[in-house]
Amino acid sequence: MVRAEEAARLDRLESQVENGGGGAWEYLCLVRKLKARRSDKVLKHGLSILNDPKARSKLGGEEWTLYEQVAFAAMDCQQHDVAKDCIAILSKEFPGSTRVGRLEGLLLEAKGAWAEAEKAYERLLEDNPLDQLIHKRKVAIAKAQGDLSAAVNLLNKYLEIFMADHDAWRELAEIYMSLQMYKQAAFCYEELILSQPTVPPYHLAYAEASGLLLVLYTIGGLENLQTAKKYYASTITLTGGKNTRALYGVCLCSIAINQLTKGRNKEEKEGSNLQSLAAEALQRDYRERAPKKLPLVISMLKNMKLNS
Amino acid sequence: MRIGFMVGILGGILLAHAGYATIQYRGMLKIVEEEFSRPPMNVVVELLLGLAFCIWAALAAPAKFRSIHPDSEENRIVSLPANLDFMIFNHRGKVFPCNAEYKLKK
Repeated sequence: MVRAEEAARLDRLESQVENGGGGAWEYLCLVRKLKARRSDKVLKHGLSILNDPKARSKLGGEEWTLYEQVAFAAMDCQQHDVAKDCIAILSKEFPGSTRVGRLEGLLLEAKGAWAEAEKAYERLLEDNPLDQLIHKRKVAIAKAQGDLSAAVNLLNKYLEIFMADHDAWRELAEIYMSLQMYKQAAFCYEELILSQPTVPPYHLAYAEASGLLLVLYTIGGLENLQTAKKYYASTITLTGGKNTRALYGVCLCSIAINQLTKGRNKEEKEGSNLQSLAAEALQRDYRERAPKKLPLVISMLKNMKLNS
Repeated sequence: MRIGFMVGILGGILLAHAGYATIQYRGMLKIVEEEFSRPPMNVVVELLLGLAFCIWAALAAPAKFRSIHPDSEENRIVSLPANLDFMIFNHRGKVFPCNAEYKLKK
């Protein structure tokens, strides 16, 4: 999870390093800690440290981690020679290491040689059959070739063994969403919410998957909408009412539920309070942050209330 | 932070001194053979002062306290990490012009 102040610190460090003030190593450590994907900057500043023998010797043992990080970034930026050089240096220092073998497999993947990469990973798996990262790379190979159903099968098999890996659950949820299998995506998000209940993006994604479920399944659509509304509301609670998308979600869900229950008897009319509160919060938010768009929002809310 | 430390040390010294004075007072009471009900007034004042200094130093000496509200502005979760384990290299970055100057010197 990247929090706002960490993201701000990362951007500050990045602009500082770009404009020539020091702190490149601190920036690279922060990128590694936050798992941000800023490969071009990492490549540039990592190479500037590695090509300077004085700075390199100052790093001591961390030099090898930097080589690994730079190799990764080079592969992302399609600089395969740089990556090959880094891996050569690493394999000279750590011969026969699985971690370096993984990097070599990654290089084959980056070059597009899927079959050779798979063979390399199979070889590594013979020695360490329970290496999580290698299994995940096999899924990535399937994903990169566009074979999403194979990726889904591989991920399911992986998750049967390593059930607590939330990165994998998240990846599976995203693949299901792109395949429009919303019921399965909702299940994955449920797992994520169970393991990390205080992370708002998971609640939001679950609400959207449940809401989209209505598109495919009209029977039982009402329950899915109510679930969606519940999780939009929980996102609002977790973020203290600041998440605009969740506010919109609550408004739209309430209106859709009212439309669906128009024919049936109106015993449960408790939802109207939530809807008006969310509409008010939305208007207040726009008034503070984008006052020019406020008339649009007001007219849209009025239209929705009239039509429903 | 410096002031915090200084005040904290001063508070500690005051408390130690108050303890020492109380022990001396008890010794004197033993000589006079009276009962020890409570330490003299100035020692009590010194104790309270030492307590106030130590509390102030405990709050001021550490650096800025971090926020614990999950919905405060700084703790707001901006984005989820990029899931680097499943990263694929098959993206549009391939058509960017190659920056030939990047080389690892050996």
